[in-house]
Amino acid sequence: MAPQPLDRVVEFILSPHIFAPLIYPGLLAAMLVLLTLIWAERKMTAKVQLRYGPLYVLKPLGGIIQLIADAIKFMFQEPILPRKADKWVFVLAPITMMAFTIIPFAFIPAAPGFVGVDLEYSLPLVLSLSALVPPLILATSWAANNKFTLLGGVREAFMMVAYETSLFIAAFAIATYYGTLSLSKIVEAQTVPGIVLNPIAAAIFFVAMLMTASKLPYDIVEGEQEIVAGPFTEYSGILYMLVMGASYMELYVLSLVFVELFLGGWKPVIPALASIHPAFQGIALFIKAYLVLLFAVFLRSVYARYRLDQALEIGWKKLFPLSLISVVWSLILLVITGGA
Amino acid sequence: MTSPGSSELRGNPYFWYRLMGRDEEGYDVYELFIGPQHPASGHMRIIVRLDGDIIVDAEPDIGYVHRTMEKLAEGREYLKNIPLFERATIIDAANITWGYVRAVEQLLGLEAPPRAEYLRTLLAEINRIASHLYGFGIAGIMLNHSTMFMWAFGDREVWVQLAEDLTGARLTHSYIIPGGVRRNLPQDFKEKALKAIRYMEKRLQDYERIFVKNPVIIARYVDVGVIKAEEAKRLGIVGPNLRAAGVRYDARIAEEYGAYPELDFEIPTREEGDAMARLLVRIEEIKQSMSMIKQILDKIPDGPIFHEKYYRMLPPKLKEFVEQTGRLKLPGAFIRLKPEPGEAVARVEMGHGEVFYHIVSDGGIKPYRVRIVTPAFRNVVLYRYLTRGARFMDLPAIYGSIDYFPPEGDR
Repeated sequence: MAPQPLDRVVEFILSPHIFAPLIYPGLLAAMLVLLTLIWAERKMTAKVQLRYGPLYVLKPLGGIIQLIADAIKFMFQEPILPRKADKWVFVLAPITMMAFTIIPFAFIPAAPGFVGVDLEYSLPLVLSLSALVPPLILATSWAANNKFTLLGGVREAFMMVAYETSLFIAAFAIATYYGTLSLSKIVEAQTVPGIVLNPIAAAIFFVAMLMTASKLPYDIVEGEQEIVAGPFTEYSGILYMLVMGASYMELYVLSLVFVELFLGGWKPVIPALASIHPAFQGIALFIKAYLVLLFAVFLRSVYARYRLDQALEIGWKKLFPLSLISVVWSLILLVITGGA
Repeated sequence: MTSPGSSELRGNPYFWYRLMGRDEEGYDVYELFIGPQHPASGHMRIIVRLDGDIIVDAEPDIGYVHRTMEKLAEGREYLKNIPLFERATIIDAANITWGYVRAVEQLLGLEAPPRAEYLRTLLAEINRIASHLYGFGIAGIMLNHSTMFMWAFGDREVWVQLAEDLTGARLTHSYIIPGGVRRNLPQDFKEKALKAIRYMEKRLQDYERIFVKNPVIIARYVDVGVIKAEEAKRLGIVGPNLRAAGVRYDARIAEEYGAYPELDFEIPTREEGDAMARLLVRIEEIKQSMSMIKQILDKIPDGPIFHEKYYRMLPPKLKEFVEQTGRLKLPGAFIRLKPEPGEAVARVEMGHGEVFYHIVSDGGIKPYRVRIVTPAFRNVVLYRYLTRGARFMDLPAIYGSIDYFPPEGDR
């Protein structure tokens, strides 16, 4: 019997090329992460600070859909365009920013052999796609034509060069050991988690991840106490939602990469789940990435903000030399063990 | 008017600086108006001039919450000024009104009975702890340490509650009046106070772990906003900010008012004069205040809480009420207090520093003139002197560390 049209549509959607970017680990899962992570962040911080946190939106579940309420509010809020702003850049930059944080999902493998586009060079591609966000932040800060946004943009520029270098070198240090730049091959090659083999690279990647998403103690770009909201000061309504969402999306992308590089990716695979849908084998990846995210946002209730020059010093004087050492360490390991 | 191109201006360096967008000293400055509409400015504006990341000049522009308190005081009877003045520093209401009451008592030739002096000291120390915790919280949030902010404000509630148990009001106690205090000590107060002290001692250790010894806080606070003893004296800084620079000056010792001469306490000082020193001095003062509260509760003498001269005026029924409930009813004549013509000055150590009152009486029922010099107003000059040459991100750190309270500065 010839396949029914509906079946073909379902098959099309369930195929990795569509399923991975759009459903898991892509858009839908990312939205779920955004929704629950911000809630979890606020709940955890509230617990530490002896408060309740979000509570009243869907009270039986502790206000878990608070963010939906916030999103609806942002949707219907009037987006204000400053009169002196460069309007095209001002509007398009947040949208492009969001796009650049979503495109990497097409190249991040979610389960064994389950990826939108399988490339030999998926690791550098994903990292460089996420590195396209900071220049856009710089563009928004210039377009808004405001003194506070300009200072925020300058801070972003300084921070970007400080962490991006170490982030790339740390990622390549571990890739050197596995001898491949393909994320799926790196996960397949990992019998011992990368964090055990090269803890320095893992630590650098994590710290640089915090700097990328400007999470405490490195939320310098959005330094509320000095520059209101940094480059995003003039944004309101749905555009504000986009710029704020983009930093969480970036954190999610990088934590997926972090898990695949250092925490064994989707291993251990549960074969029983594969019969439902191959993507379900990636459940361990999702859980690990979520735990990394929870840890990253939990730091907010422990640390204050570093000063810009101190963060730059950490970036250039500590992370950068250490990342070079991590490359050397990978090479030594390679010589001793003969490779993965 | 000379035109910009005229020859006499060309010899002037200012002319070239102007042309290049620089200020008189040749700096290429970026002027930033922080406040009054800003998440971390408070009720004030700081005009910051930046050279790159370095602050060339920060000018505190205050007065946004000026309420003409000195003028208002001239139109009110002596007693009615107490609720007015406590609104200048609502977080430290006992201390700011105590100075006024002391000056009025001098004019009236009154002296409060010993038990009343002890009760005043008790409330003053409770207020000092609450005031320091408030400053602590602001210092935390200025560095985006929201946990410290929430903890300090949450724990301040313990002391506000204690003050309510004593006076009946959370913040605006109006407890200290000429000739005594308005309420006697509640019976179960001692246990509650000791419980609060035990709780706070435990919490101070938590603060130390999460804030004082936090590597980020150390990086942000040590050697930031340094002021040395000589400079602090020259500028007339008061309170913990002065003591953190190594000057052992405290109105509680200088004036010997209240029950302080009979209490055993230390004036914590530090030599460094940086933001960290200011923080540590405040923590040490909280500990000293708690020890003082313990001593007061042990030593407090029995006796009246209000001056005999006015207590006698109460009708027998009201006297009975006061005896039974411990709540004072004021005699009708009290609202028309008429001091002799003359002048009086008094100073009291608040949480933020020394407050100074100068009252001129013309023999009427209202003061002719009341002059208040609040500690916040004397400390506001620090914005300019501490921030010069600091990094831009040090500005909130310095703001938080000097514990400035705009409504108090503006009065």
